[in-house]
Order: sequence, then C-alpha cells, then structure tokens
Amino acid sequence: MGATIISNRIRQLRFENGEMTQQQLGQRIGVTRQTINAIELGKYSPSLEAAFRIAEVFGVPLEQVFQYKSDQGSA
Amino acid sequence: MSFREKSAWVTLIAILLVFALFVSHAPRLSHPGGRDFHTLLACIAAFVVIETVAYFVLRLRYPEDARTPIDEREQLINLKATRLASVCYVIGSFLAVMTLHHGASAVVIGYLVVLAFVIAEIVKYAARIVYYRRGV
Repeated sequence: MGATIISNRIRQLRFENGEMTQQQLGQRIGVTRQTINAIELGKYSPSLEAAFRIAEVFGVPLEQVFQYKSDQGSA
Repeated sequence: MSFREKSAWVTLIAILLVFALFVSHAPRLSHPGGRDFHTLLACIAAFVVIETVAYFVLRLRYPEDARTPIDEREQLINLKATRLASVCYVIGSFLAVMTLHHGASAVVIGYLVVLAFVIAEIVKYAARIVYYRRGV
C-alpha cells in the first residue's frame, strides 16, 4: 500500500457558505478551531464521523469535501 | 494556540520549575526519611499549587476555550504523547532497578524511579506541544 494524500475543499466551501469562520465550523461539528485548521492544511485526517459532519454542514456529498489520491494513480 | 496547548505549556514549565527546585534543595540522597523527603513533599505541594493557580488563571482568561470539550485530534495527541512517556518511564524504572546491582540503596532507587517519572512527564508534555504545533 503506497502513501496516500487526502485533499479537501473546506476552505473554499466555508467562503461559499457565508464566509463561515473556522471557529463556527468547529463549533458545529464539535471540534476546536485548531483542528479545523489542521484538517484544512492537510496535517490531520479527520475521523469518518467528523468528515460526514463537515459534509453535512455544507450540504454536499462527502466526495465534494474530501478527495483521496494514492501514489499508485487514480482517485 | 489552543487552550489545551496553553495548559501543556503551563504544566511543562511547572514541572521544570519544581524539578529544578527539588534538585537544588536535595543534593544528597542518603538521608532516608530526612530533609530530602520533606523537600520532595514540599515540591509536590508546590506543583499542585502552581498548576491549580495557573489553570484557574487560564480558565478566567479563556473561558470559552476552556469549556470546549476535548476533540478527536486532541485525544490522538494525548494518546501519542502518553505512549512516548510510558516508554520513557518503563526504561527509566528498569534502569533504576538495575542500579541495585551496583550497590545502590533503596532510597537512591526510589529517587531514581521518581526521576524516571518526572522525565516521562516532561517528555509527555513536550511531545504534546510538538504535536499541537505540527497539527498532529
């Protein structure tokens, strides 16, 4: 199994949703602002539950928030 | 900086201060039940006081952050730091017991186990700070 990269569009989605702050998003899904920042920067991969909560806040499917790529090719 | 990272800084500084205080006041470890033991108790009391006061000051300055429950990333950070600290404590305690074969007294071994515990705690809080800075 090769190295994986999970990218996300949280920052873009926050601005498309009334310029929501990291603090507001964190409060809605039950994590700290620092954790939202770490997720946005790709330093921390959230649990599946937190990922679904983030997608639910923005009202989009999970794959529109997070994208998975492996070093072996396809997404 | 999150509330829990600030707390980790406060605890790390408190441990280092109290440990320095203990080392400076207990240069000899050969008096069982003597002044060294009282110094140890005084240091533990000093640590509890420093921690309690610092925690309440932090809570007063950052009431909203303090109320935020610990989240999954912070739990992961705590677990990773505790794992590192437990390895340090086990190795330190083992080395302390091994000094028995070099003629160390029970008092010295006891203090070495305490030293292993203090080092493990320093490692734990330093690791937490590093993980908080790195993201995880």
